[in-house]
Amino acid sequence: MRLELHRVKVRDIQWGEATEVRQGTLYVNREEALKAVEDSRLPLMELDIARPGESVRIIPVKDCIEPRVKLTEGKGYFPGFCAPVQPVGSGATLVLDGAAVVTCGPIVGFQEGFIDMSGPGGEYTPFSRTFNLVLTASPVEGLDRHQHEEALRTAGLKLAVWLAQSCSEAKADEITLFEKGTASEEGQKHPGLPAILYVCMCITQGLLHDTYVYGTDLKPSLPTLLHPNEVLDGAVVSGNCVSSCDKNTSYHHVNNPVVRALYARHGKDLNFLGVIPAVESTVMDGKLRSAAMNVRLGRELGADGVVISEEGYGNPDTDLCLNARFFEQAGIKTVVISDEAAGTDGASQSLADATPEMNAFISTGNVNEMIEVPPMDKVIGDPAAISLLSGGAAESLRPDGSMHVELQSVIGSTVEIGYSRVGCEWI
Amino acid sequence: MTREIEKAAGIPVVQIATIIPIMLTVGANRIVPGVAIPHPVGDPAKGAEGDLQVRRELLLRALGAMETELTDQKVFEK
Repeated sequence: MRLELHRVKVRDIQWGEATEVRQGTLYVNREEALKAVEDSRLPLMELDIARPGESVRIIPVKDCIEPRVKLTEGKGYFPGFCAPVQPVGSGATLVLDGAAVVTCGPIVGFQEGFIDMSGPGGEYTPFSRTFNLVLTASPVEGLDRHQHEEALRTAGLKLAVWLAQSCSEAKADEITLFEKGTASEEGQKHPGLPAILYVCMCITQGLLHDTYVYGTDLKPSLPTLLHPNEVLDGAVVSGNCVSSCDKNTSYHHVNNPVVRALYARHGKDLNFLGVIPAVESTVMDGKLRSAAMNVRLGRELGADGVVISEEGYGNPDTDLCLNARFFEQAGIKTVVISDEAAGTDGASQSLADATPEMNAFISTGNVNEMIEVPPMDKVIGDPAAISLLSGGAAESLRPDGSMHVELQSVIGSTVEIGYSRVGCEWI
Repeated sequence: MTREIEKAAGIPVVQIATIIPIMLTVGANRIVPGVAIPHPVGDPAKGAEGDLQVRRELLLRALGAMETELTDQKVFEK
């Protein structure tokens, strides 16, 4: 399977007559953009631009999406949403690299977050470095919350695909190639290399906490196997209003650094088998079933080792422990990537669950760490929404616009696939 | 809270929750597995009558657990 990401570098974003990329600037026709995402359930829609370094706060943020569209071997993007349910991961895909669509508006679920485009808060989120087109959408009165989530999720995806489609004539600055055969073919090619599987745990818990694969809700699924190219080409979409610090937004999924890192070493010092988007159930039997079936797939594929990343915290810590335990018991080595909820002083037990088999742990930070963020000149959305967000409280927002909040209210700040700059040192 | 009530007040506590390993990790003694995280003490999918039966059975099992002498943590399965 051969995937070419045609990266058009975006170094600025401006309103314009035509929606296009010229000399690194993404021009957006605001009226046409709004028309592209019309939805009777979201009668009030506004678009804003937010650039890196600006004194702008965006709150509450639901999802971030990288503008992309298929150029060959498919059309649209995000199969099941803005494209037919077609296999993805082959052919050419146009990427507006450096741009993001950010969805915002009256709160859908309490676990949404904020983005500061500058200042200390901006250091914690990758979306302070993207040129953002922010869609703020308000629902029709009385709209069911699940409908609201679905409408806003779809509007964000549509806007991202429309943007990329409108710029599909742009010349790529760089083409990134991802090419790999099936697990069986690659096993024959690289018989001496350790076979490594990636289990990407996904929040699949209903109540506005869901992940979609090929357009369908992953929640009732048994574990399935994806070729890494499918993950990098829009097969997985976030429908999550889980804690904003450690949810994998739709942007994260197509840029998953664990997938890219394993891919980069494929055929050199390891054989990358593929990706299991794994279920995190709300019932105990579901957790046991998911972990057992993940291991079953790993054994059938001949995995020697597995990288497991968590999404969310709390009860998914048990999924993380079960995955580690069952894989280790099956003789498959594990390393897990997770954040910690260790209290504001960092002294509490980091995870809700523990198991001795979880013996290699990479931490992406403490979600409860308190941070101070200064006022911003402009706020897109509603500054008072912080009182409703996880990691915020009514007293978080001061009259001057500064905030004292937990790190978990910053979107993507401790994301457990490692797409961040948080570490023991700034990197 | 479960541990502290038992320790400080000497009142036996039965904990009904869904994710058994977490209850074991935090040190609950009398554990009754709940139905699901969004609805630990009932099952709305079973309709009003079915839900009532689930709730009654859970409560009676919890009361049974409370009366049981223990020397170690115990999960009271159905």
